[in-house]
Formats: sequence, structure tokens, C-alpha cells
Amino acid sequence: MSAAAVFENVQKDYILSPLSRRKITALRGVSLSIPAGSVFALLGPNRAGKTTLIKLLLSLARATSGSIVRLGQPSSERATLGRIGYMHENHAFPRYLSASEVLHFYGGLTGLSSSELPQRVESLLVRVGLADRKDDRIANFSKGMVQRLGLAQAMLNEPDLLILDEPTEGLDLTGRKLLRSIVRETQAAGKTVIMVSHVLPEVEELCEDLAVIVSGRIAHQGKLNDLTSGRNFESALNDIYEQGGAA
Amino acid sequence: MNLAVVIRTVRWMVRDTLRQSIATRLFWVMLAVTLVCTLFCLGMTVTGDRPATGDQYDAGGFITPAQAKEIGEERVKEEKLKVLNGEVSLGFGLIRVPIARYRDDAVRYVQIWLAAILADTAGVLLALLWTAGFLPTFLEPQSVTVLLAKPAPRWAILLGKYLGVVIFVALQAVIFVALTWLALGIKTGVWDATYWLAVPLLVFNFGIFYSVSTFLAVVSRSTVVCIFGTLLFWILCWTVNYTYVRLQISPVEGMSGLSNLLLETIYWVLPKPLDLGGIFYDSMRATGFAAPVPELDAVQQKGLSRPELSAISSGLFGVLVLFLSVFEFRSTDY
Repeated sequence: MSAAAVFENVQKDYILSPLSRRKITALRGVSLSIPAGSVFALLGPNRAGKTTLIKLLLSLARATSGSIVRLGQPSSERATLGRIGYMHENHAFPRYLSASEVLHFYGGLTGLSSSELPQRVESLLVRVGLADRKDDRIANFSKGMVQRLGLAQAMLNEPDLLILDEPTEGLDLTGRKLLRSIVRETQAAGKTVIMVSHVLPEVEELCEDLAVIVSGRIAHQGKLNDLTSGRNFESALNDIYEQGGAA
Repeated sequence: MNLAVVIRTVRWMVRDTLRQSIATRLFWVMLAVTLVCTLFCLGMTVTGDRPATGDQYDAGGFITPAQAKEIGEERVKEEKLKVLNGEVSLGFGLIRVPIARYRDDAVRYVQIWLAAILADTAGVLLALLWTAGFLPTFLEPQSVTVLLAKPAPRWAILLGKYLGVVIFVALQAVIFVALTWLALGIKTGVWDATYWLAVPLLVFNFGIFYSVSTFLAVVSRSTVVCIFGTLLFWILCWTVNYTYVRLQISPVEGMSGLSNLLLETIYWVLPKPLDLGGIFYDSMRATGFAAPVPELDAVQQKGLSRPELSAISSGLFGVLVLFLSVFEFRSTDY
């Protein structure tokens, strides 16, 4: 099976003080392959390096060493970002824009043409249940509504790789159901989904493959079924966290 | 580099910034200031002025009626003096001043005050303060990460935001000049097109200092740093510019060659707001209508004025700072 993203011996240091060159290492020699067409979970305790890994994949930060390939191209190739959808946890959309304007803005920057943009925006607003609030300013939206809008934003370009960072945060039951159906549809279309989440039931229900990061290292990678065979998911994960932390 | 992607990115960023300016009410606040100035212009009337003869901008040979009475009618005729009988009324009659020269001069005088003092100094400073929050808010990680994950070059995103603010200020400058020009024209019948030169000069001045605000925003992501940093930088530039010009007309004895070289270098590196003001003043052909800046006047008379080089070096400074901002933004981890 081909890979949607490949990390090879990736290290990421954050310089805390340019004068003293004090640094913290967020990722230590991470090598990881994310199978194309899978729903892939990226798990780990807080500050383990999950978000850093996603940031490197999206070129939001630069790796100190190692190489990253996304959708078959090196991560320095920004054009591939046009095939990726990213839903950020707690993203602050411009509060002066309406839901429809937000999608037009991000869709325009993604590269959707002015002829296809209105239609795509309309259909996505219907899909995430915000059609009746499309002209309302984001400033008046609840957290759940902003999350739905974030999901629509990530789907604008019908991405080959959909990255969801804590997607269920703030979503109500209907919202979670919507998210699940979108993830399943995306996978059914042969596309890849990467999910960063702390909500284990959601991961268990949606994901087949996973990687667990602990203290900047890949502590486990494989099929979710292999990890949970005969065991409770949470306790299996806890064991990995503890072993990874000890290592 | 894909040019279509760059154009698309800049276009969307400019559009977003203009929307932001309207939504944050800044557009309306600046428009309100313009409307107050327009009202002021509508309240201006000129009566009893003499028609322009000869060199329209010759300011000499005018005396007030009281002076004419004092020196006697014969001497007035002998010396071909022109007696002033007109009056300029401002603020719908609240302020009345005897007309100094021709009708055109009175209008030009008001225009110079509006453009050089109000817009080019107070206006540019206020615009810098009011727009200082645009970039830091935009550059907060929570706001910008999704945007940076789009297939748009980072430098084009930043440049688009910068251009958006400059275009917004240019739009306000056009509205300001257009409305005050129309109001003055309607009330006085004087339609002086040179007043429109205020627009490019204002935008040029603002653009240079906004590049500093942009750099501070990229480095600090703090509105407070942008406001105070830009303000202090503006004061520094004024001080260096004034000191340099002052020393050109009256050099200080005992100043070492190194100090001179240092001052000369700093002067040529930094933007020169005083010199830009001088260019503005000259463009408006202000001599004779408003009191000239004595130092600039003296430098001009000594033949030491190099306005083109001042403007070019100031513009280059803006471009360089913008380039540094882009470089920093491109290499920043989010």
C-alpha cells in the first residue's frame, strides 16, 4: 500500500533562547508511514509531539533534521497543500466575517475558481448544518458551530488528505455524528484521514491504524485491532504511555 | 513561483483587510474625520478679494487697508502696492480673517493646512496607530495556522495584508482629498488640481512607516509593540532628519569626522519625514502661502537639498524593512 505521508528520522528542536541556544526537543528521530486510504489516529499524552508532527506535515514549522514526504512530494513543495484539508482545534476565524465569507476566503486561497466556489460553499454549509446561519458573523457563533465551520473549511478542496486535530472538541452529539459520517465518506472515496484525538471511543470507532507518540518518539505503530486484541483500548494505551515515558 | 497563485493570494488578502477595516469600524471613524474636515471646508467663504494678475504665486506688494491709510494714497500708487479688502470666513463665519492675497492663495493656504499638517502628520500618525492592530491580530497562531496550511506562499500572504492596509489608507486619502477639494471648489470657485498630489505623497509616507509596523508585528505579534515601536521610530527619524538638516546650515565646531560620518550614514539609511514634508510643500508650491520650514528653506538656498535622493532612500528603507519582515515570516515556526 502506498503512503499518504512518510516521516524519516525527523527531529524537531525549538530554540527557546536565541542567545543561549537553549532548546527543547519536540520530536526525536521520528520515522512513520501513514498508509494512503486509511483513517489514521495519532495518539499520545499532552506535549508528546503530536501537534508538532502535524505542523511539520503542513509546513507550519520546519524540521531540524530528517525528511518528510506528503502525497508523494517533499514537504517543501507547497502545491501539495492544495490537496490537504486541515481542521485545527480552537481555530480563530476572523470574527468580522460571516460563515459564507469565511469559506469563500479560505476556498479562494486554496485555489478554487470563482465559478466553482459559490456552489461548493453552499453545499458544504448545508452539509455541516450551517446553511441557515450562513450570513451570520462568526462572532455570534458557539464553539460547536465554529467547529462545524472548521470542518467545512477543511473539506473545501475535497482533500486527498484530511487532517483533523481534536475534531470532536466542542461538538454536540449531532456534530459528532456528522463528523463520523464525513470521515467514513472520505475514506470510502479512497482518501486518507489523520485524526489527532484524546477521545478514545471516537478513535476506536473510526480508525484502523494508529501511531502513539510519547516524549517525541514513536512508542507504537500498527493496526488498532492488534493493540486492542483481548485488551481494553484505554489500558493498552496507558501501558504504552508508561513504557514510552520510561524509555 | 507561480504568478497566478501569488496574484490570487494577494487579492484575497487585500480583500480581507478591506473587509476587516469596515467591520472594525475604522473605515467609518476615518470617514467621520474626513466629513468634519469637509464641513469645515464648506464653511469657508472668500469675499472682496482681488483678481489674480501677473504671477499668480507672487506674494509681494500687499498691504492692509490700515497700512494704506497710514502711508497715504500717493505712496500706494507710487510703489504699486495692492490694498487688501477681502476677508476669509471659516467655520460658517465663526472665524474671520482679512484676506492676505488672492482668492486662490486663501484656498491654497487652507489646503496646505489640511494636507501637510492635518493629513500628512496627524493623519498618518493616527492611521499608523489605528491600523497597528491589524497584523498582530492576524499573526496570532490561532488565527493564522489554517491560512498558512493553504497552498499560498507565506510572503504573498504577508505582502497582501500589508498592501491591504496601504490600499485602505490610500482609499481614505482619496476620499479626504476629493471631498475637501470639492467642498472648497464649490464654496470658492477655486479648483486647484495640485492639491491631489497630497494622495501619493501621503500614501508613500504611510507605506514607509507601516513597513516598520509590519516588521514589529512579525517579530513580536504584539499590538502594543507595534504602536509604541512605530511611534518611537517616527520620532527618531524626525530627530535625525532635523539634526542633519540643522547641522548642514550651521555646522557645530569641533564635531569629529567620525560623528559627521555616523550622522550622515544614519540620515541616509533612515526615512526622512522632514524632507518628505519639504517635497510635499514644494509640490504644493507652498512658498508664499504658508510659513516655510526655516531649516529646509536654508538648505534649499544653500543648494544642499537633494529631495529626489531623500525620497528614493526613504522608499528603499521601506522596501528593505518589508523584505526583512517577509524573510522573518517565512522562517517562523507556527
